[in-house]
Amino acid sequence: MKLYCLSGHPTLPCNVLKFKSTTIMLDCGLDTTSVLNFLPLPLVHSPRLSKLPSWVSKDGTINLEKELKECAGRVFVDSQPEFCLPERELLDLSTIDVILISNYHCMMALPYITEHTGFTGTVYATEPTLQIGRLLMEELVNFMERVPKAQSATCWKNKEIQRMLPGPLKDAVDVWTWKRSYSMQEVNSALSKVQLVGYSQKVELFGAVQVSPLSSGYSLGSSNWIIQSHHEKVAYVSGSSLLTTHPQPMDQSSLKNSDVLILTGLTQMPTANPDGMLGEFCSNLAMTIRAGGNVLVPCYSSGVIYDLLECLYQFIESANLGTTPFYFISPVANSSLEFSQIFAEWLCHNKQSKVYLPEPPFPHAELIQTNKLKHYPSIHGDFSSEFRQPCVVFTGHPSLRFGDVVHFMELWGKSSLNTIIFTEPDFSYLDALAPYQPLAMKCVYCPIDTRLNFHQVSKLLKEVQPLHVVCPEQYTQPPLTQSHRSDLMLELQPPPMPYRRCSVLNLPFRRRYERVYILPELANSLVPSEIKPGVSMATVSAVLHSKDNKHTLQSVPKPPPAPPSKKRKRVMEEPPVVLAPKPLLSGAVPLEAFLVTLQKAEDTLIQLEEDGTHIVCDNNEPLRTTLRDLVLRFLQKL
Amino acid sequence: MDRECVLLLPSVCEVLADSGRSVPDDTSLEKLLDWFTGLTEAGGSLLEACPCLLKFISTVVHNTASDPGVLSFTLRLTGLMAATEDGFKMLQEQSVLNQVFDLQHWQEAGLWDDPCLRIGWIQGLRSMLQHPKALSFFVQSDFIASLLQLQTDTSLFVASAANHMLAHILLFFQKVSSAGSNGINNKEEDERRIHHSVTDLESPAVTMETSEEYSAVVKGISEYLKESLIPKENTKLHQSLQILKLLALLLAQAGPPLRDKLLQTVTDSLEELVTAGCNQRVTRLLSSMLTISRPADLIHAAAALLSRGHHDTVHTARAVRILLLPLDIITGLTLLGTNTAADEHQVSVVEQLKSKTSCISMTCVCLTNTPQITLTPSGVLPCPPVLIVTAVVSLLRISSGISSSSFAGCSEVCRNVIGSGKVQKCALDALTALNSSPGAKEKISEVFTILIQYLNNPDSDPTVLHKSYQAFIKWIGVCTDLSLITDQLRQDLVEVVKKRACDMRWEVRDSTVEFLGHLAGVHVSVTSGEDLCDASEALLGGCCATPLLKEALQDTESYVRASAISALAKTLTHSWQQGAALTQDQTEIVSRLLEILSQDTEGFPRRAVVQYFISWFLSHSSLSPPSSSTPSTSFLMQCVRTVLSQGSADLDWEVKVHTLELAELLLDQAFSAHRGYRKGSDAHRALQHPYGVVSDQAYTLHTHPGTHTEGVQSELAHVVELGVFSALLSGLVDCDRPVGLKACRLLIILRETICPLSLGALDVTAAMATVSCELLGRGWGKEITKILGMESDRASEVDISAQRSFSGADGRGDSVTVSVCEVLRSLDLDERLDVLTQSSDHIHNSPLSLLQDILTASAAHTHPDTKPGHEVIVDCY
Repeated sequence: MKLYCLSGHPTLPCNVLKFKSTTIMLDCGLDTTSVLNFLPLPLVHSPRLSKLPSWVSKDGTINLEKELKECAGRVFVDSQPEFCLPERELLDLSTIDVILISNYHCMMALPYITEHTGFTGTVYATEPTLQIGRLLMEELVNFMERVPKAQSATCWKNKEIQRMLPGPLKDAVDVWTWKRSYSMQEVNSALSKVQLVGYSQKVELFGAVQVSPLSSGYSLGSSNWIIQSHHEKVAYVSGSSLLTTHPQPMDQSSLKNSDVLILTGLTQMPTANPDGMLGEFCSNLAMTIRAGGNVLVPCYSSGVIYDLLECLYQFIESANLGTTPFYFISPVANSSLEFSQIFAEWLCHNKQSKVYLPEPPFPHAELIQTNKLKHYPSIHGDFSSEFRQPCVVFTGHPSLRFGDVVHFMELWGKSSLNTIIFTEPDFSYLDALAPYQPLAMKCVYCPIDTRLNFHQVSKLLKEVQPLHVVCPEQYTQPPLTQSHRSDLMLELQPPPMPYRRCSVLNLPFRRRYERVYILPELANSLVPSEIKPGVSMATVSAVLHSKDNKHTLQSVPKPPPAPPSKKRKRVMEEPPVVLAPKPLLSGAVPLEAFLVTLQKAEDTLIQLEEDGTHIVCDNNEPLRTTLRDLVLRFLQKL
Repeated sequence: MDRECVLLLPSVCEVLADSGRSVPDDTSLEKLLDWFTGLTEAGGSLLEACPCLLKFISTVVHNTASDPGVLSFTLRLTGLMAATEDGFKMLQEQSVLNQVFDLQHWQEAGLWDDPCLRIGWIQGLRSMLQHPKALSFFVQSDFIASLLQLQTDTSLFVASAANHMLAHILLFFQKVSSAGSNGINNKEEDERRIHHSVTDLESPAVTMETSEEYSAVVKGISEYLKESLIPKENTKLHQSLQILKLLALLLAQAGPPLRDKLLQTVTDSLEELVTAGCNQRVTRLLSSMLTISRPADLIHAAAALLSRGHHDTVHTARAVRILLLPLDIITGLTLLGTNTAADEHQVSVVEQLKSKTSCISMTCVCLTNTPQITLTPSGVLPCPPVLIVTAVVSLLRISSGISSSSFAGCSEVCRNVIGSGKVQKCALDALTALNSSPGAKEKISEVFTILIQYLNNPDSDPTVLHKSYQAFIKWIGVCTDLSLITDQLRQDLVEVVKKRACDMRWEVRDSTVEFLGHLAGVHVSVTSGEDLCDASEALLGGCCATPLLKEALQDTESYVRASAISALAKTLTHSWQQGAALTQDQTEIVSRLLEILSQDTEGFPRRAVVQYFISWFLSHSSLSPPSSSTPSTSFLMQCVRTVLSQGSADLDWEVKVHTLELAELLLDQAFSAHRGYRKGSDAHRALQHPYGVVSDQAYTLHTHPGTHTEGVQSELAHVVELGVFSALLSGLVDCDRPVGLKACRLLIILRETICPLSLGALDVTAAMATVSCELLGRGWGKEITKILGMESDRASEVDISAQRSFSGADGRGDSVTVSVCEVLRSLDLDERLDVLTQSSDHIHNSPLSLLQDILTASAAHTHPDTKPGHEVIVDCY
C-alpha cells in the first residue's frame, strides 16, 4: 500500500492511495496562495495600480517592464493570477480510479485533474459539496473572466531570471507548473464526473474495497472517508470540526480501529480560538461603525460567512447596529444564501429541527427579509444605487487579488475610519495587503478556523486509536513563528509518519489475509471434527473461483447422484444413534505445528506438461525429491 | 409569659400527649422548644409558669405508643427544665428525671432504636448538665458508658451530638472543678451559661464531691479516647477520625489541667497512630505538616503554615521556598537562588507539574500565597520581592502563550498552564495584591503591558478581563508618575477599551464600563510632583471615556446601562466639584438619564440614575451655597424635582428608597442649620448599594446663614415646592416596608424640626402653618387623605384652608391642599414607625400563633366526620 503526496499544503491536500489494486485520489485542493505574487485585478480602472513603476534589478540588467511592477518595496507579477496545482508528474493521473472529495474547499483543483489528463474515473462527493463547490468554482471563473487580461507573463519564470528576483518571488517553487484559472466549460465537464453519496453510504470499488463518507462537522456536506477491505481499514480525516457550528456534528466512532489514519486539514490557526475571534470580529465591527467608518470583510461566499451572519444577527441588536446596512457581494451570493437553507439534512440537529416548524434554518433569511442584509452579484448595477455608508461589506476574494473586494480596497483604503477584518485563515493578511500599501485603513486579523486544533486531535486520536498516523510534516513540529509552543504539534506513539509534497510513503502494513467465500452447498457438505475445544477442522475439496476481486469456493461438480439404496433406507429407519462424527484423518494432528506448516510460505511449483513434469522448489531439495517420488508413484499406478 | 399562652398551653399539652392526634408539622415542636428555651433564658421558671408541663412529661413518658418525635421533644424539654438547680430539684423530687432518662426503659420499649429518641436523650442531658447536681446525677446513673457507646452510633447525627456532649462535659465542668479545687473564679463565661445556671459558680455549690465525680468522668473519657484512637481493624477508621476531631475540639478549648491530662493520656496513642500508618488520611495530615514527600501536599502544608502566621523563621523560610518552587520551575526565573538543584523537592515537583490537574492546583496555591510571601521579612525571602512580581508577570505571559519559559526542560510543564483560565485568574489576583509589595513600582510598565495584552487577547474569558481591569486600577493607584506609561501603552489602552466596550458579552462590556468609572475615581499625578488629576483623563486623554459611556447608556443589557450611569457619575464628579459649567454633552446625558428613569424597564439603571443625581447634588452642594442661582444650580434643581416625582412613583422599591435618600439630602441642606434638626443620615445611613456612587469622601453641607423662623419657613416652602414632601408622603403609604420606614423616619425628623410638639415652639408652628401642599385625589394622595380622615365632611376639621378643585375630564379626582404642619401632626407617625420597625413576619412567629396552630391542626385531624384511621383525602386538581 502506497501513498503519493501531490500537495504540500496541509489544509489543501491532494494524496493518492494505492490500495488493493485500486488507485484512489483523496481530495484535490488548489493552493491559491500563489496569487499573492500577482497584482490585484481591479474591476474599474485604477490609476494607482496602472501607474506602478516597473521593477528593474539593481544593476539594471533585468528589465521585465511589462511583467513585474513594484509596489511598496515588493515586486508583483502583472498578469492574470495563477495557481499552484497539485503535482502531476509523480504518477500517471489517468490511472486514478476514483477521487474522494471531503469538502468544497478541497476540490478546487478538480478540473485540472479530470480534464486533459486522460482521467476516466469517478469522483465521489456529497451533494452540498458538489453544489457549493460548483458555486466557488463559478465565482472564481467569473472573477477572472470579468476582467480579462490579455497579457500572460512568462519571462519571469525563467530560472535564471527568477533567481535574481527579490522577495517571495525568488523562493516560489515550481513556477512553471503554475496555471491560470480553468474555464466554466472545464468546470462543468469535471463536475459531470461527480457521483453523489450520502453519509455512511457504502460504495464498492471493483469489489476490492469499500469507501464510505462520514460527517466531519466542518462545513455543509463535509466528510471524512473510510476506505476498507475485509481485513484492512484506512481512515482519511480531512477538514473536521468538533465545534457546534451549522453542519452536522462529526462522526468520530466510525473512525475507530483503523490500521492507518491519514490526518490532514487541521486548523491553520492553532492559537486563535474561533469563539474569541468571533467576539473580536463583532467588537471591531461595532467599534468601526460607531465611529462612522465602513467595514470590509473579505471572505469566501460560503462557509464561515453563514456563522458570521448568524452571530451578527444576534449581535446587531445589542450593539445598536440595527440601521447599518450589511452587503454581501458575490456572483453567487444569492445561490449561496439560498443553498444553505435547503440542505437541511446536512445541518446540525438544531437547525434541522427548525425546518419542521417550518422556519429557515439560518437566520440570515430574516436579515434579508428585514432588509438588513442585501446581496448583489457585483458592485455594478443595483448595488451602486442602494449603497449607503457606513456599512459592512462581505465580499471575495480573501486573497484581495481579484473579485469585488479589490474595488473596496481602493475605495476605502485611504481612510483610517474604515476597517478591514480578515476572517479567512487561508492567506497571510500582511501579504494580502502588500499591493495596497501604504494603507490608512485599520486592519484586524481574526481568522476563524473551526477545524480541529492539536488539543482536540490528540484527544480524538486517543479515542479512535489508529495503529499508524500519516500527516503533513508541518504537524510534527511547532509552528515556525511559535517554536516555543510544543503544545502545537502532534505527539504520538508510535510517532506519526510525516509527508511533504512529492513524498511517496510505503504505508506500514502488509496485506495478510484475503477473504474467500464458501458456497452454502459446499459448506453443508463439510463435516468438521473438533480437534481441540473450540477448533474444528474439515478437509475441503473445492474449486476456487475468482472474479472482480471476489474469491469463492464452489463444490467440485458431482457425478449424478446414485439412486438411494435400500440399505441406506434401512439405516434411516433404525433408531437414531448419536455418533461422534468420524474423524476423517486417522491419528492425531499436532495442531500448532500443523498450522505453522500451513503458514510457511514456501512456493513449490509442479508444472505438468504433455511430455514432461517439472517440480520447482526454492532451496528445498528434500521436498522436491519427496514430491518427485510421489508423482512417479502415482504415474506408475495409472 | 403571655396570659393567653398560659391558658392555651394545657390543651396543647393534651394534644401532644395524645398519641392518637398529630402535630401540624415537624417544625412546630422545634419552635415550641425554642420558645421554651427563650423563656428559660429570660430567667423565668418553666415549672412555675406552666405546671401542666410536669404532668405532660410523666404522661408521655409512660405512654410507649407516643410518637418518637414527641418523646424526643419531651426528653429535651425535661433537660431544659432541669437546667436550673431549682428545676432539677423539683423534677428529681417528683422522680421524673429517673423515669425520663432511664435507658433501660426505652430499650425495653423498643424505642431506643429510633435515632430521634437517642438524639433527644443526648440533647436533654446536655441541656441539663449545667450545674454540679446534674453532673452527680449523670455519674450516679452511670450514663457515661452509654454516652461513650453512642460516640460510634450508626446515625451520624447521633454520633456527632454525642461527640459534642462529651466535649461539653469535659469543658464545662473543668471550670467547676478548678473553681472547686483552686477557688479561682473563671469569669470568661459565655452569657448563655450564666443564664442557665441559676446558682452562679461563685456560690458555694461546688463541693469536693463534684470535683471527684468530674475526675472520674475525665478519667473514663480519656481512657476511652486512648483506647479508641487506634482502630482495631481497618473498618473502624472513621472512628479514629471522629475521635481525632473530638480531640482537636477539646485541646483547642481546654484549660491547662485538663489539656495536660488529656495529652498525657493520648500522646502514646497518637504516636502509635502516626507511626503505624494505619490511617492514611491521618498520617498524611500529620506528616504534611512536618516532612512530606508528596509535593502537592507539601505545597498545601507550606501554604497552611504561612497563613497561620508562625513567626518561626526557619519554618517560614522553608515554607516560602516550597511555595515558590513551582513558580521558579515554570517561569525559569531563579527565585530560589542558583542552587535550586540542591532543593530536595525539585525533581518530584517537576514530575508533579507535568500532570495538568496537579500543575494547575499547585500553581494556584503558589500564586495565591505570593502576596503574603512578599510581606515576609527580607531575611526569610530567598529573592527580592520585586522578582516575585516579575515571576507572576512572566507566568501570565506564559499562560497566555505570548512567551516561553526560560527554563529549558519544562515544555511539558508550560503546556499545562498555557490557556488555563484558572491559573490566569489566580495570577491576576496575585498581581493585583502585589501592587503594594516593595519595589513593585519598578515593574509598573511591565505590568501594564501584560495587562493590556490580556485585555486585548480574544481568548480571555470575562472573569479574566474583569480581573485584569481590577489589577489595572490597583496598579494605577500606586503609580506616582504617569510618565512611566509610554504613549504606546496609552494608545493601546484606548484601543482595547474601545474594543471591549463593543464586546459581544455583556459581562465584558459591564466590566469595561465599570473600569472607566473606577479609573475616573483614581487620582494620579501626570509627572512626579505635579498636581493630581484623574487617571481616566490622564490615560485615555479625556476624549474616550464619556463618549463610550454615553454609548453604553443605550446598551441592551440593564446591568451595563446601570454601570455606565455610575461610571458617568464618577467621571463627572471632578468637574461638578470644580463647579464647571455644564457642557452640551452633560445636558444630553442628563436628559437621557431622565428618560431612563421614566422609561427603562429594568430596575438597575433606574436606581443608578437616582444615585447619579444624588452624587451630583452632593458634589454640587459641597461646592456652592444652595441658594446661589447659577444656571447649573437651577438646572440641577429642575432635575431633582423630576427625579423626586418620578422616583417616588417608581415600581422598584430600591429606586424609591434612593429617591428618599435624595429627599433626605435636600432636607439636610435646607434645615441643617436649624436648631432642632438632626440629620437622619447620622442615625440610619442605608447600606451602600453596589451601584451606589455616593463618593466616599465626607461631604459638608453649607449652612444656611438665617436660623430665623422666616428662614426655616422659606426653606420649608422651597422643599415642599421641590416635591420632597410629596415624595415623603407617598413613601409613607408605600407597600414596601423599607420605603415606608425610611419615609416615616424622615417625616418624623421634619416634624421635630418645623413643628415640634413641645410647647415652646408654638410660635414657630404658627408661622409654618402657612406652608401647605397639595394632595391629589388618587394614589398616595388619596391614601393620605384617608389616614387624615379628611374624606368628605371631616376635612374641614383638620385643615382650615382646605380647598377643593375638581377636574373630571382626566379623571384626576379631587385634590386637597393641606398645611404641611397639620399633616405632620395628624399622621400618627410614631405609631406608624413602631409598626414598620417590626419585621413583617412578627405576627406569625408569636408563640400564641404557634400554640393555636398546633390546636387547629389537631382539631382538623380529629374532626368527628373523619373515621379513625382514615386520612383526610384532599382532592388536588
